[in-house]
Amino acid sequence: MENKRQLLFRIAAIVIIVAIAAVMFIIGRGHTIYFDNKTAEYDGKKYESFYKVAIIKDKEKVAKLAEDERGMTDLIGQTLSVTLEITDEKGADPHSAKVSMPIPYGIDGIVINIPELMAGLPADAYMSEFVPVATSEDEEEEEVVIDEFEMTDDM
Amino acid sequence: MKIKDKINLRQASVPIMFIIICAVCIPLSGLSPKMLINEIITRMGRNSFLILSLLIPIMAGMGLNFGMTLGAMAAEIALILVCDWQIVSVPGMILAAIISVPISVLLGVFCGKILNRAKGREMITSYIMAFFVNGIYQLIVLFLMGKVIPIKHSSIKLPRGYGIRNTVSLLSMRQKLDNMLAVNIAGVKIPVLTFILIAIMCFIIIWFRRTKLGQDMRAVGQDMEVARDAGINVERTRIISIVISTVLAGLGMIIYLQNMGNIATYTAHSQIGMFCIAALLVGGASVDKASIGNVFLGVVLFHTMFIVAPRAGAYITGDSMIGEYFRVFVSYAVITVALIMYETNKRKAKSAASMRLKEAQESEEMGESSQADA
Repeated sequence: MENKRQLLFRIAAIVIIVAIAAVMFIIGRGHTIYFDNKTAEYDGKKYESFYKVAIIKDKEKVAKLAEDERGMTDLIGQTLSVTLEITDEKGADPHSAKVSMPIPYGIDGIVINIPELMAGLPADAYMSEFVPVATSEDEEEEEVVIDEFEMTDDM
Repeated sequence: MKIKDKINLRQASVPIMFIIICAVCIPLSGLSPKMLINEIITRMGRNSFLILSLLIPIMAGMGLNFGMTLGAMAAEIALILVCDWQIVSVPGMILAAIISVPISVLLGVFCGKILNRAKGREMITSYIMAFFVNGIYQLIVLFLMGKVIPIKHSSIKLPRGYGIRNTVSLLSMRQKLDNMLAVNIAGVKIPVLTFILIAIMCFIIIWFRRTKLGQDMRAVGQDMEVARDAGINVERTRIISIVISTVLAGLGMIIYLQNMGNIATYTAHSQIGMFCIAALLVGGASVDKASIGNVFLGVVLFHTMFIVAPRAGAYITGDSMIGEYFRVFVSYAVITVALIMYETNKRKAKSAASMRLKEAQESEEMGESSQADA
């Protein structure tokens, strides 16, 4: 009886730890979000870039974009919530829009096109994967330094 | 009473020596008090947990656990995986801790079983075993990661397609634990959450000493044969102490690396055991006796020396490398002195015991012969 109880406690402990790990996988997933204020085309229709866009995340201005500019911010978790302060044209008053959207788990870097997002297009229109271009530095072979006590020829 | 005072004075000689070194080097280093205190507090947060992991094997009479490196390697493997999975910030650290624990337990059981076969030579065995497991670690990290264990990101993977780069960035975790609940007092940053974790660990160790298992460990540490006669499973108790130490070392390494902000993949763990042990000994601990107080005194003194020595060396000789050599030399020297003191005390105790036995035998024989004469 005592052994059975002990076994149950152990199984329960393992289940709890696995559950915590699973929660960490979801709430701790990091993404890099790139915001594009660029003119885009979807289904033959053109969506013009804004004069100026400010992106506010957690009450902090994370990017300020002019026309044809890109900004970025880091996100932890699966939901992006930002406030966009948009100035349509020079001299016009800025208007705010709160946006919240789920972010695909498997993608590290996501590009969001603001004009398409504000036009109310579906997610596959304004959201695309950011594919980093390998630099020559990345491609350069790296010598692995394993130990500071390297054996000499005498050994 | 006099012998006890002598032993206490001998144990206190190392901290006193370090207090003198620090007292001489601090003014020469030219560091402002604020900067020095900042550095010491940062290093206390970074290293204390790791050093606390050494206490339990000492309690079980297994000496200084050079095998703590095994836990450090487990933590590094966990952090590399978590980095590749892009789990960031504190959740990333928690996940790394969860992953490192089973690896540490396996390595701890392995280490404990081998140390049970090398009773009385635990320190040298664990030291060499750290080199052996380092070879396995390199096999995993250098060849299996990327080939067998999937690694996606090119920022972690070597350009040849497998193996891990010399340095893995932990920028997404850097000082996240330290900065959470951190307070700034007169320009000195205090990582409150890290200190809370260290304090919890201290209370756990104090509580653990009073448990049945803790008492068993102390009994095993005092005399294995007597403990065995008292019905304690000596081998199992020793294995558990090493497992706990390895797991705690793994968790400590995660705290250490989040503070550093990067992993030196192939070298981060190699010196960590040596410096932690040196810090504990500087705090007045010995091979068979160590307390929580020794941990904190050791961290403060050893790391004060670490901070000020290069600058003091540069001031005295014009070359900061002299200070660098000095601090490494002192680290090894303090371990050597502690080991010599331990062996000397052990031999003295052994010869005193044999002398007492001889005297008892002689008086017994004299008693018998006087009875026969009568």
